[in-house]
Amino acid sequence: MPTREFHAPSLAVSIGKLDLQNPLMTASGTCGYANEYGDFTDLTRLGAFVTKAISKTPRKGNEAYRIVETRAGMLNAIGLANIGLDAFLKDKIPILKEMGVPVIVNVPGWTTDDYVDVSARLNDEPVVGGIELNVSCPNVKSGLSFGTDPVRLFELVSAVKKVTTRAELIVKLSPNVADVAVTAKAAVDAGATALSLVNTFTAMSIDINNARPMLANGTGGLSGPAIKPIALFMTHRVYTEVAKKHNIPIIGMGGIQRWQDGVEFLLAGATGLAVGTALFLDPNIPLQILEGLRNYLARKNKTDIRQIIGSLQAPAPHD
Amino acid sequence: MPGRTRQPAGGATSSEPRIRPTPTSPRGRYVATVKENIRLCTDHYRLVLSLPRFPRSTPGQFVEIDCRDPRFAPSADHDPGPRAFDWPPPESFKGDSPVALPRPCPSDPDFNAPLAYLRRPFSLADHRIWPDGYTELDIIHRVVGRGTLLLAQMLPGQTVSLIGPLGTGFTIPQGIELACLVGGGVGIPPMLYMAKGLQQSWIKGGVGFIGAQREDLLPVTIIGPPNAPEPSRAGDPLLNVAEFKEYGYPAVITTDDGSLGMRGYVTEALSAFLEERQVQQGRLMNTIVYCCGPTAMMKATARVAAVFGVPCQVSLEQPMACGMGTCQSCVIKFRPRDLGEGAEWKYKLTCTEGPVFDSRDLVW
Ligand SMILES: Cc1cc2nc3c(=O)[nH]c(=O)nc-3n(C[C@H](O)[C@H](O)[C@H](O)COP(=O)(O)OP(=O)(O)OC[C@H]3O[C@@H](n4cnc5c(N)ncnc54)[C@H](O)[C@@H]3O)c2cc1C
Ligand SMILES: Cc1cc2nc3c(=O)[nH]c(=O)nc-3n(C[C@H](O)[C@H](O)[C@H](O)COP(=O)(O)O)c2cc1C
Ligand code: FES
Repeated sequence: MPTREFHAPSLAVSIGKLDLQNPLMTASGTCGYANEYGDFTDLTRLGAFVTKAISKTPRKGNEAYRIVETRAGMLNAIGLANIGLDAFLKDKIPILKEMGVPVIVNVPGWTTDDYVDVSARLNDEPVVGGIELNVSCPNVKSGLSFGTDPVRLFELVSAVKKVTTRAELIVKLSPNVADVAVTAKAAVDAGATALSLVNTFTAMSIDINNARPMLANGTGGLSGPAIKPIALFMTHRVYTEVAKKHNIPIIGMGGIQRWQDGVEFLLAGATGLAVGTALFLDPNIPLQILEGLRNYLARKNKTDIRQIIGSLQAPAPHD
Repeated sequence: MPGRTRQPAGGATSSEPRIRPTPTSPRGRYVATVKENIRLCTDHYRLVLSLPRFPRSTPGQFVEIDCRDPRFAPSADHDPGPRAFDWPPPESFKGDSPVALPRPCPSDPDFNAPLAYLRRPFSLADHRIWPDGYTELDIIHRVVGRGTLLLAQMLPGQTVSLIGPLGTGFTIPQGIELACLVGGGVGIPPMLYMAKGLQQSWIKGGVGFIGAQREDLLPVTIIGPPNAPEPSRAGDPLLNVAEFKEYGYPAVITTDDGSLGMRGYVTEALSAFLEERQVQQGRLMNTIVYCCGPTAMMKATARVAAVFGVPCQVSLEQPMACGMGTCQSCVIKFRPRDLGEGAEWKYKLTCTEGPVFDSRDLVW
C-alpha cells in the first residue's frame, strides 16, 4: 500500500472577489462592531468579520427586555440599536483594519435611500469588503416588507447595486416567507453577488404570571440551535434553486454551534459559515469549528474544502 | 487589586486594540475546577472555583458561567460532541438538596427539555490570588431555575467554563471615609467582596446592611454576641456577620418577617443609621453607599442616599445574552446627573459599562 503524504486540507473560500482564509465568519449583531471579543478569541484567524447593523444615524433601539432564552435558543428584539455610520467610520474602521480580515458591514434601512446612502459611503471605505443588506430584520415595523416582497426587494437591490461598485453586495434573506427561493431569485436578478441566510424567525415568548409577552417589543427573532434544521433546509433550497445556477456563493447561518453543523451547511451548499448566537456561549467557537472541519476533511481524504460544498447527495424527488 | 479609585472597563488602558487573547488580557475564557460546593442556607450555595490563573478583578465585577451539563464541559480537544441529557443526574450532590423547587423529574412532561442554554451571570463574592497565580473565586448563588440548580449539584473536581472578569466594579471616590454596604438577597455576595476591597483601600470605616426575607435566606455566617448563652436573635443589635467582621466591619441584619435581626427593610436600617450619624456629626459628606439587590430595594436605597445627600453606587441586574458587550440586550437608561432632568437619556450596557452605576445617573 503506497503511503500518502499528509497535506493539511485547504480551507480557503471566496465570496465573490473576497478571498477568505477559511469559511468561518461572525453573524451580524452577535459580535459587536470590531474587537469586543478580542480578549476571548483570536479575531485575526476568522475568515471574515461581519459587523452589527450600521444605520445612517445612531439608533437607541427597543425598550428592555430585549432578549429571552427559549429552548435551545433565544429571542431577541434589539431594534437595531447601533452607534450610527459616522461613529462607526471614525472609531471602528481603524480597529477593523488592524484585525486584517475581510470586513462585511451589515446595513439596515427603512427607506431605499437609507440603504443607498450608507452603502455608498461604505463602498468608499477600502477595508469594507462586503455590504450585507439586512432586508430581513423582523423587529422594526417596516423592515419586514423589503425582505418578504420580491418586487420591492428587486427594486431595492437594484438601487443599491448602482452605488456598490467595489464592495461585494450580499443580501441577507428573511426566513419569514413562504418560499425563500423566490426572494433569493429577486436578489440575484437585481445584482446581488452573494446571499446570506437565514436571519431570525419571528417568534414569541409569554410571561405566564403577568400574561404579557416576555419582550418589551412583543415579538422577537428566534435564533440558536432551535432553528438549525430549518435554516439548513432553506440553505439547501436556495442553493439548488438559485445559487448554483448563477454561481452565487451562500453564507449559511442559523444555529451553527459545532463543526458537525458547519459540515452540514457546507454539504447543503453554503460557502461561508456564520456563527451567531453560539458566540454568546463561547466567542472561540468559530475557531473550534475550524479545527473540526480540518480533521473532517482529512478523514474524508479531501484536499480542499470546496470539494464538499453543495456535494449533498439529495434523493431524487418522487412523483 | 480591589480598592483602586478608577477602574476602566476590562482593566487595561493600552491604546492598541486587543484583537487576540494574550497572557496579559484583563479578561478571558477559563475552565475552573470546583473546589467546594457548600449549601449555605435554603436555596443558597457557595461555589468555590479554583484556577491556575485568572486576571485581577474588582468588587462588583462578575463572571458568566456555562450552566449546561458540566459532564459536557469543553475538553482540551475542543470537540464538544453531541450534548445529551439524562435526568435526574447521577447521584451527585451530597448534603441537603435544594428545597421548594419545581425540580424536573421523569413524571414532568418537560423532563427531557434541554438545560440552561445561555451562560448565567454571577457576581464575584470573593477572589483570592496566591503569589504563583493560583486563584480561587467564590460565587454565592440562589437556586431559581435550571442553571442555578445545575450549579448547586456540582461536585468537587468537576469543571465549569467561565468567562470573566466582566463589567466594571465599584469605585471609591477621593475623600470618602465611611462606606455603607447594602446587600439584599442575592445582592449580598458582591458586598462581601467589596468589604474586602474597602479594607485594602484607605477607607477604614465600613458598615454592612444585610437584608433578606427570612432568616433561612441569609447566605452569610451569623455570629452572636460574645458570652451570650442563648441570644434572643430577633432584634438583637449585637448579631454580626462573620464575613464582615473578618475585615473589622459591623453589620446590621434585617429580615422582612423579623425572624433574625431587625424586622423590616434594609433601607429603613440604613436610613436610621445615616440619620443618627448626621445628628452626631452634623454632616455626612464623607460617606458613600454601595448597594446590590432587587431593583425595588436598590431604588429605595438610592432614594435614602439622595435624601441624605450621599453618593450611592448600585450594581444592576439585567437579562444578558453575552455579557461581553456585543448583543445590546442588557440596556439601562442613563442620564449623567450634571446634565439635569431635562436632558435626554441614552442607553448604556449593563454588562460592560456597568453593572455598577452611580444611582444619580440612572433613569428608573
Ligand atoms: C451582573 C449580574 C450578577 C448576578 N449575580 C448573582 C449572584 O451573585 N448570585 C445569584 O444568585 N444570582 C446572581 N445574578 C442572577 C443570576 O444570573 C440568575 O439568578 C440566573 O441567571 C438564573 O438562572 P437559572 O437558569 O437558574 O434560572 P432561569 O431558568 O433562567 O429562571 C430565572 C427565573 O425566571 C423565571 N421564569 C422562567 N420562565 C418564566 C416565564 N415564562 N414566566 C415567568 N417567569 C419565568 C423562573 O421561574 C426563575 O425564577 C446576577 C445577575 C446579573 C445580571
Ligand atoms: C442578539 C442578536 C442580534 C442580531 N442583530 C442582527 C443585526 O443587526 N443584523 C442582522 O442582519 N442580523 C442580526 N441578527 C441575526 C443573526 O445575524 C443571525 O442571522 C441569526 O441569529 C441566526 O444565526 P444563529 O442561530 O447562529 O444566531 C441578530 C441575532 C441576535 C441573536
Ligand atoms: S449582555 Fe450582551 S451587550 Fe450586555
